[in-house]
Amino acid sequence: MPPSKARRSGGDRALGLLARGSAVTILGLLVALLATLVTAGAPAAARFGASFLTETEWRPNTLERPRLDARGEVVITGGEVEIEEVPPRFGALPAIWGTAVSSGIALLIAVPLSLGAALFVVRIAPRLRVAGPLSFMIEFLAAIPSIAYGFWGLAVLTPWLQTVAYPAMERLAGGTWVAGWVFRTRLADGTEIPVGLTGKDMLCGGLVLAIMVIPIVTAVARDVLRSVPRGQLEGTLALGATWWQSSWGMMRYARAGLFGAVMLGLARAAGETMAVTMVIGNNMQVAASPLAPAQTMASLLANEFKEASDQLHQSALLLVALILLVMSLALNVTARSLVVGGSSRTAAAH
Amino acid sequence: MSTPGHTQGPASGDAAAAAPRAGYAIIEAIRRGEPVTGQTHEQVRDQPAVIRAADFSLWYGKSRALHAVSMPVPRHRVTALIGPSGCGKSTLIRCVNRMNDLVEGVRVSGRMELEGSDVYAPGTDVIGLRRRVGMVFQKPNPFPMSIFDNVVYPLRIHGQRSRSELAERAERALRGAALWDEVKDRLRQSALGLSGGQQQRLCIARAIAADPEVLLMDEPCSALDPVSTLRVEELIQRVSERYTVLIVTHNMQQASRVSHFTAFMYLGRLVEYGPTAEIFQNPRLPETEQYVSGRFG
Ligand SMILES: Nc1ncnc2c1ncn2[C@@H]1O[C@H](COP(=O)(O)OP(=O)(O)O)[C@@H](O)[C@H]1O
Ligand SMILES: [Mg+2]
Repeated sequence: MPPSKARRSGGDRALGLLARGSAVTILGLLVALLATLVTAGAPAAARFGASFLTETEWRPNTLERPRLDARGEVVITGGEVEIEEVPPRFGALPAIWGTAVSSGIALLIAVPLSLGAALFVVRIAPRLRVAGPLSFMIEFLAAIPSIAYGFWGLAVLTPWLQTVAYPAMERLAGGTWVAGWVFRTRLADGTEIPVGLTGKDMLCGGLVLAIMVIPIVTAVARDVLRSVPRGQLEGTLALGATWWQSSWGMMRYARAGLFGAVMLGLARAAGETMAVTMVIGNNMQVAASPLAPAQTMASLLANEFKEASDQLHQSALLLVALILLVMSLALNVTARSLVVGGSSRTAAAH
Repeated sequence: MSTPGHTQGPASGDAAAAAPRAGYAIIEAIRRGEPVTGQTHEQVRDQPAVIRAADFSLWYGKSRALHAVSMPVPRHRVTALIGPSGCGKSTLIRCVNRMNDLVEGVRVSGRMELEGSDVYAPGTDVIGLRRRVGMVFQKPNPFPMSIFDNVVYPLRIHGQRSRSELAERAERALRGAALWDEVKDRLRQSALGLSGGQQQRLCIARAIAADPEVLLMDEPCSALDPVSTLRVEELIQRVSERYTVLIVTHNMQQASRVSHFTAFMYLGRLVEYGPTAEIFQNPRLPETEQYVSGRFG
C-alpha cells in the first residue's frame, strides 16, 4: 500500500534521511578503517614486500646467535663466542595456511550438512509442522556468541579428540602411509614432528568452525531454496523425478545463491576469532597434517596484538588484519550479490 | 514474462456472484447442497476410457474443491475442461498424476483410475505413475540447462545413459513438439534463451520425450502471445494421435478449436460433458448454454 502524501512528508522523510545518513556513515567508517589499516600496515609491507605472504617464519623478537664463518664454524674473538643479532622477521604464510585449512575443513563438513538441513526445512518440515520451530532454532544457533562454541570445543571436543578419536584413528591407520602423513608432519625447515598429541589443532578448529557456520549457511540456503519457483519443483516431479532428483533440480536452479551461502559461511569461518583461538593450538607453522597445531589470521591477531610493543610487529599484525578485512569484504560482497542476484532472477521468472 | 493484464488464480466468489438467479436445476441443487449428477453424453460413454474419475471428491483441509466428479477421458482424443476460474479444473487434472500430493492437508475420496487401476490406491508407485502421465503447466518451466538437456531430462532421471539413444529421442520429441527446425542448430544453448512460445513447446517436447500415455495440460497457452498460442494448439491436435490429452482452458474458442470432447465444470461439479460441437452448439443444460454463450463465468 503506498503511503499517503501527507504522512510521507513528515516522519517518512525524517526516517529516510536517517537511513541515508546511517548508510553513508557506515560506508565512511569502512573507508576510514581501510585507510587506517593501509597506513599502519605500510611499514611492514615496504619491508617485506610480497614475501610477507610467502615466508613461513614469524618471529617478533630479535634473535641472538653465535656468528658462523664461511666454513660454518663458530667465530671466536678474544676467547669469547662472537654473537650476531638477527632482526625480527614476519612471514604470514602460516596464518594464511591455518586459516585456509581450518576453514576448508569447516566447509567440507558444514556444506553438505547445511544443504541437507535447508532441504529438510523447505521440503519436509512443513509437512511435519516443524518448519517454524526449526527455523527459530537455526536462527538461535546463529546468534550464540562464539565464545560459547569455543568453550565447548575446549572442554568437550579437544579432550575427546586427544584421548578417544586420535588414538582410535592411529590404531586404524596402523603403519600405513596415512599414519605417516597424519600423525607425523614435516615443517618448512625440514624437521619432522609428531602431531595429534594435544587435540588442539586445525582439525579441531575446523570442527568447531563447522558447527558455527552450519546455522548461517543453513539459514541462507533455506531462503535461497524457498525462492525457487514452484514450477521448477513441480516440473521435475511431474516428469517422475524422485525426492532427491527433484531436490537436486532445485539446488541446480538456485546454484548461484547456494554458492553465495557457502561464501558467507567461508567469510564467517575465516574471520572467526575467539572460538578458534581457544582450540587451534596457536602455533605459527605450516604443516601438512590437519592434526598439527596452527594459527589463523584472526587467532594470530587475538594472541599477539595486545603484547606487540614493537613498531614493526604492530605493523605486520595490522597488515594481516588488512588482508583479512579485504578477503572477508570480497567474500561478503560476492556472496551477497550471488544470493540477491539469485533471488532477483527468481523474481523475474515469476 | 507473464502477459500484461492477464490475471489468473481462483476467484470462486466472482463465479458464484455472476451466476444466473433462477430456473437452473443444477445450480439450484448446488445451492440447496444436494448432490449433483452431471449430464454425460452417450458419445463420451461409448469411448474407450484411459482415465476415469468415479465419484471423485477432494478437500483442501476443510474446504471441498471437487464434489463426486465422475468422468471418463477417451483414449487418443483431446478432452477440454472448461468452467469459471476456481471451479476445480486444475485441482481435477492434478489428481491424475497426483501433483496434489504436494499440497498439505489434501484428502480425496472415490476413485481416479488410470487404465483401470486407482492412482490413489495405497502402495501406488507415484513416480511410476508420473512417468506414464506427462504434464504441461500454465507457465513454461524450462530448467536452467541446455535445450537438449531439458528434453532428455526425463530419460536421464530414469537411467538412460546411451548418447545415441538420448540424441535420437531428443530429436523425435522436438520434432513431435514442432520445435526441431527452430532449435536443431543450438541444442547446446540454454533453454532460458528461447521465446515464451518456444519454451512452452520445449516443455511439451520434454513431457512427451519419455513417451507417456497421457498428457495433462493446465492452461498451456495462457502465458503465450496469439501466434505462439496457435502453434501450440496445432501441436496439441497433432500429439493427440499418439497421446490422450486432457487440457484445461478458460478460453472457450480454444476449447472448441482443439478438443474432441468438452467437460463443463462449475463449483467443483461436473455439469455437462459431451462432444465439443454438442457442448458449444447444442448443450442440453441451460447452465452450459449460459456459460458457453459467455453470459456468466
Ligand atoms: N493449494 C490449495 N489450497 C487450498 N485451496 C485451494 C488450493 N488450490 C486450489 N484451491 C481452491 O480450490 C478451488 C479450485 O481451484 P482450482 O482447481 O485452482 O480452480 P481452477 O483451476 O478451475 O481455476 C478454488 O476454490 C481454490 O481456491
Ligand atoms: Mg487453474
